[in-house]
Amino acid sequence: MIGSIPLSDVLLVSGALFSIGVAGALLRRNAIQIFLSIELMMNAANLALLGYGAALGTHQGQIIVFFVIAIAAAEAAVGLAIFVALFRHTETIDVNKINLLKW
Amino acid sequence: MERLFFDAAALLAILFAGLMVVGRDPVKSVLSLVVSFFALAACYVLLLAPLIAVLQVIVYAGAILVLFLFVLMLLNVGREQPDGARRPIQTVLGSLAVVVFAGLLLGMLRATGTRIPILTEAVGPEGLADPAALARLLFSDYLLHFEAVSVLLLAALVGAFVLARREEAP
Amino acid sequence: MTFPLPLWVLPLIPLAGFAVNSLLGTRLGKSFVSAVGVGAAGLVTLAAYSRLLPFFGGSHATVIEPVANWITIANFSIDISFRLDPLSALMLSFVTFVGFLIHVYAIGYMHGDHATDAGYARFFAYLNLFLFAMLTLVLAESFLLMFVGWEGVGLCSYLLVGYYFDREYAAAAGRKAFVVNRIGDYGFLLGMFGIFAAFGSLNYTEVFRKAAEQPAQFGPVLPVICLCLFIGAMGKSAQVPLYVWLPDAMAGPTPVSALIHAATMVTAGVYMVARCNVLFRLAPDVMLFVAVIGCFTALFAGTIAIAQNDLKKVLAYSTISQLGYMFLACGVGAFPVGMFHVMTHACFKACLFLGAGSVMHSMSDDLDIRHMGGLKAKMPITYLTFLAATLAIAGIPPFAGFFSKDAILSSSFEAPGLGKLLWFIGLFTAGLTAFYMFRIVSLTFYGDFRGTKEQAHHLHESPSSMTFPLIVLGLLSVVAGWLGLPAVFGEHANVIGPFLAPVIAPIAGHEAAHEAMPHATEWLLMAVSVAVAASGLYLAYNWYAKEGGRTPARLAASYPGVYALVADKYRIDELYDALFVRPFAWLARALWKVVDVLVIDGVLNAAAFLVELAGDFLRFLQTGNVRNYALTFFLGLIALLVFVVGAM
Repeated sequence: MIGSIPLSDVLLVSGALFSIGVAGALLRRNAIQIFLSIELMMNAANLALLGYGAALGTHQGQIIVFFVIAIAAAEAAVGLAIFVALFRHTETIDVNKINLLKW
Repeated sequence: MERLFFDAAALLAILFAGLMVVGRDPVKSVLSLVVSFFALAACYVLLLAPLIAVLQVIVYAGAILVLFLFVLMLLNVGREQPDGARRPIQTVLGSLAVVVFAGLLLGMLRATGTRIPILTEAVGPEGLADPAALARLLFSDYLLHFEAVSVLLLAALVGAFVLARREEAP
Repeated sequence: MTFPLPLWVLPLIPLAGFAVNSLLGTRLGKSFVSAVGVGAAGLVTLAAYSRLLPFFGGSHATVIEPVANWITIANFSIDISFRLDPLSALMLSFVTFVGFLIHVYAIGYMHGDHATDAGYARFFAYLNLFLFAMLTLVLAESFLLMFVGWEGVGLCSYLLVGYYFDREYAAAAGRKAFVVNRIGDYGFLLGMFGIFAAFGSLNYTEVFRKAAEQPAQFGPVLPVICLCLFIGAMGKSAQVPLYVWLPDAMAGPTPVSALIHAATMVTAGVYMVARCNVLFRLAPDVMLFVAVIGCFTALFAGTIAIAQNDLKKVLAYSTISQLGYMFLACGVGAFPVGMFHVMTHACFKACLFLGAGSVMHSMSDDLDIRHMGGLKAKMPITYLTFLAATLAIAGIPPFAGFFSKDAILSSSFEAPGLGKLLWFIGLFTAGLTAFYMFRIVSLTFYGDFRGTKEQAHHLHESPSSMTFPLIVLGLLSVVAGWLGLPAVFGEHANVIGPFLAPVIAPIAGHEAAHEAMPHATEWLLMAVSVAVAASGLYLAYNWYAKEGGRTPARLAASYPGVYALVADKYRIDELYDALFVRPFAWLARALWKVVDVLVIDGVLNAAAFLVELAGDFLRFLQTGNVRNYALTFFLGLIALLVFVVGAM
């Protein structure tokens, strides 16, 4: 039976979360927080996927999200490892100060 | 009814996401995000994906974000210092871009009347929310993807290990 | 009856010699190279004569042997085919035989420090290549195939004149020969284009048949075509104004001068004019032009020859002069007579050049006749053959040159219009010829030796490989003329005229009634020719052998300006240099410095500079700051979204 949650609600929430994530990624200088914002963006995408999956009556949405979570885990591990290695070298987490590839 | 629950959980998620973004202390940010993820897990359940919700809590909130915390503690990262930004172009342009983007996303939304089915209907064998059905799919149609992701996790494991270890003293 | 050797095999024999000598010659030593080179020349002579036997037996039949189709584009089709008719048979007979003799001579001449092992092989290879090109030229049945041979002989001339390529003078001479030839070839090409446009074919049989059957149709366009063809002949056969390359070409080894610049290549122009006699006879104005140019060239070159002191240069100007005679004959319509002179000239001029080479060897490569003298005793064979050839060229009966030259002079005497004037100039030039030729004979072989002591020690007769061809050619200089005895000696005295008659095809509507000259006039003309020649000889003998050159020295001192001008060949080379060479060099320089360096290189460099400039600005995008990159990324995403939303 058709429920009461409209799809547009789900998408609205997803969009809002994504925008907040973007704002965090662009406007913060702390590398960890930039990373967290990226994770937030991924979750927003997951939400949208699940919403569509449920609305269209297919398992595909859940399958994709399953894999996204797995990959996010891998990515977080490697990303944090890089972060750790970088921090050992530069003693700072301010992204502005890490600009060795400057012209 | 479900709509009420969903909206409440969503609002919670958005609120704490916002807190995460504006917080100065990195640890506070991580914790806010944990709460946000919990709220999102609740949303997932209402979207007929209980297995995913559980995975979200266990893996995402419970493992990934805890890893973040570990790293923060390990490196003793302090509060973010305000820096006399010499060129505000990043902040200005960035804020503008975000606003425009949000507007665009909203503009693309169309209320079509499509609705999510009721959870109670979808629970049960072969229903949309049935974990067994999902598992069956994973191990038949999506077996290759499954195995590939396992290899990816192995590679990530090795990579993280290599990247983060201390240099051996000669 | 033996199997007739196909005509296309004939050019291939020397080509094979060229291939073998150029590829293997340096490794296999001088004897091998000589054997292959001379062997190829000898073999092709035998092969040619096997095909010539029917002609000697009195047959006049024309043989045409098609080989293959060469080009076919729409309605333009050229076959490779070869023709053997009386005219090409005549050319074939002396090109191969004289060529063979000169190959034999070259063995002795190129020994010693005249050639290294590699140079020796190169020399004989080029000589063989030349024979190949010349045979192609002579045996071709179409203008295009002849042109292949034409260009080929020009190329070989360049290669052989510049044989001593490490000497600046020789290399420059080779270049000059090639470039001036090329100017003539341009005319030939234009003529060929015209022929194709008018007749639709480049095949001799077709073109000449059409011209002969419908003279009125082609009449208007033929003068231009024939003029263009004659320009080609002027270049190849060194007529004024395109003669300047021939004296310089003496920088090449003497066998080359003998073969290419006396006997064969330079006569290709005359051959071509004789071959196209049908076309020329339909353009009488051009014929007159040909005669005038020929006569003028003969006189011009003769005057230069009397003041030259380099033995080979005198012979070179003499060649130019004699070629002028041949064109004079063709110009007045006596094509067989011109070809007759070609044949006798090949014999005695080759003999003269080979003799000069023999003298040069003996004099340790010195060719200045002021340093010679009294060589008669030391080099008797060379002296006798040289004397025989000189008497031939001077026109003393019964030597060869007399009959051919006399025939030319009487033909021009008979000719309407300017004929008598041309006869008179020709007669005067004959006297000049006798004079300057006997001048060099006197200065070289008579009197006392005027060279250095070392040269005196070195004087010797040449080896038999060199004297044998001299003797053969000397004999030919005596007897070759007897093929063309004038009519006064009897009805069937003239062999060559009737032999070549089939080549002079009748033209519809142009039947020229030719009355034979009354015998009395002929005897009178002959007597006058002999008298003039004899007086030239006598004057030279007097002045140079008897008086030791006092009178001409006094004359030269009295008119220093005139003498300087003539001795400096009228400064024509300097004139050409100022008129053509310098402006051209200036133009080349301008094109280089301005167009190539400034414009073309400049454009390229400017493009590179602009790219660099752009890069200099764009690099500021690389701030090294990840956030900036993320922003740029995001802005792009927004743009994409706008696009998608807009599309919706």
